[in-house]
Amino acid sequence: MLKAENIKKKFTKLTKKKEHIEFYANDGISIEAHDGEIIGILGPNGAGKTTFLRIIAGILEPTSGTVTFDGLRYQDNETEIKKNIAYLSGNTKIYNTLSCYELLHMCADIYGVEKNDAEARIMEIAKVLNMESFLYNPIGSLSTGQTQRVNIARCLIHNPKYYILDEATSGLDIISSQIILNFIKNEKKKGKTILYSTHYMEEAENICDKVIMINKGVIIDEGTPAKIKKDTQTTNLRDAFFKLIEGDKNEE
Amino acid sequence: MKNNMFNILKKELREMFRDKKSLSMMLIIPIFIPLLVIGMSALFESQMNMPVTDYNTIGFDYELTDVEKNIVTELEINAVIDTDENLEEQFQNGEIDLYVTKVNNVYTINGDDSDTSTYASNLVESYFSAYKNYLQTDYLANHNVDPEEVIDIILLEENIATEENFFASYVISYAFFFIMMAITVSATYPATDATAGEKERGTLETLLTFPIKSKDIIIGKFLSVSLSSIITGLLSLILAVISLKIANNMFTIYEGINLMLPASSLIFAIVVIFAYSFLISGLCIAIASKSKSFKEAQSALTPLTFISFFPSMIVFMIGITTTNLYAIIPFINYTLIFTDITNGVINYTHIILMLLSTIIIIAVVLKIIIKEYKSEKVLFG
Repeated sequence: MLKAENIKKKFTKLTKKKEHIEFYANDGISIEAHDGEIIGILGPNGAGKTTFLRIIAGILEPTSGTVTFDGLRYQDNETEIKKNIAYLSGNTKIYNTLSCYELLHMCADIYGVEKNDAEARIMEIAKVLNMESFLYNPIGSLSTGQTQRVNIARCLIHNPKYYILDEATSGLDIISSQIILNFIKNEKKKGKTILYSTHYMEEAENICDKVIMINKGVIIDEGTPAKIKKDTQTTNLRDAFFKLIEGDKNEE
Repeated sequence: MKNNMFNILKKELREMFRDKKSLSMMLIIPIFIPLLVIGMSALFESQMNMPVTDYNTIGFDYELTDVEKNIVTELEINAVIDTDENLEEQFQNGEIDLYVTKVNNVYTINGDDSDTSTYASNLVESYFSAYKNYLQTDYLANHNVDPEEVIDIILLEENIATEENFFASYVISYAFFFIMMAITVSATYPATDATAGEKERGTLETLLTFPIKSKDIIIGKFLSVSLSSIITGLLSLILAVISLKIANNMFTIYEGINLMLPASSLIFAIVVIFAYSFLISGLCIAIASKSKSFKEAQSALTPLTFISFFPSMIVFMIGITTTNLYAIIPFINYTLIFTDITNGVINYTHIILMLLSTIIIIAVVLKIIIKEYKSEKVLFG
């Protein structure tokens, strides 16, 4: 189980007047994700989704709060935790000079996949993601959609238990997006836990078991898509989100 | 999992050998060494062996006596007799190399600091020395004194290094400075690419999501940059040795001198190259990893390129000798120990102190970078 408790992250911003202003990108976010669950993290740009997912992936350290994976904390078991997670964002960059095959081999080595298994796994993943035609090409020569498929392959190579996906479909064409959504559904069937951030509300409504709506670093609502729609008396998550923001503004 | 440092090293080497800029920095810079060695030797030789006809046209603003005419002929001076004003004009036009003016018994040599004027000045000094000697001898003889008893009252014998030795040591030292510079330049680009470049391209974030310890990332990167520097250093040394051999046979200034280093000296020169490559790679990675972009890193590394060879050059020019203290001061120690090695002096204490100092500095530098990579500041600082 993945558990994040009261995550706060403070940043300092330098203004045009050269003054340092402190602000919270995350201000007390807590979640629990069980095996086989897809948790959608929804919110507009600047809501704090990426910061939160970076903290979960161990790229950022929280100012306060704790993250545990099956009871293990980053402070004591960073390498062990990272072996069981895969992080993918819409902006994830990979090594352009390496071929897809070389990258996947490197990742397999890094995650400790046995040599014989690694070769078979690369071929299997290449077939599933339809990468065979460009497997030995340099990543720098691939299209955006193909590169994102290589990124998914990179995430699959070590068969992780947890996926942290940050706007993974952003900027992709409809076919590439569908490949990613199918990949998420397949991994859920295998009992994997997936944190999935997006600002495409319809996408989240279709695949997420539970949704957390964030605005300005705080959770404004959470629950199943059906529960949120019921709470807000709306018919879709997009309307629900606008209603919640409106409520926020009225409270202010 | 156990070999993650090796995985990073392999990745860095793949990227480095596939990058044209890294490759050219590594392999092309050493090619300048033969040009430097041969070019400097040719320059020295041209200065040493300048034919007398290139600087022997000397003006005099007075008529020469028969004695003076004899000396002029003996020293192959092409004397031009004219007025002071005309001689000055001829000198300005480059028609004469120097001119001498005379007021009573005061002779003034007029020239400038050009090569021909300097050589002509030496020629005129020889002329006046001979003339003065004649006048003194003549005066003493007229006064019934044996000139040999007065003029040769003391005997001076010279036992100083020949000019050829000076040129040899100069050219070998400059070849070493160039090797150091080549190593520095060769470390700069891959160090920038592996740290600030990786940050700028966005791949560092991906790397930090992998289950790799910061120590493995940094040591992997450090070894790849060091390898690039070592390849450049060894290639430069090989080319330096070959070009010194060619220069030795080609130029008369090295006649009777063996520019070739013995095998033992070459082995210790390689030790110095390895030590310097590791040090400069560590420093380059430390500086570049603090930068947010490739451009910022390159600006930050520019002073290091100068610091790497200027102190050594100054030490060489001043003529400082190696002590235990100097053997631990980075940059200076490599030059001093290399100079000792080329002079056939292998001081094991100095070499061990140099290696210890290098190891300590690298350990401290790497520890600082590893700490930085453990923090999010490496990405967002």
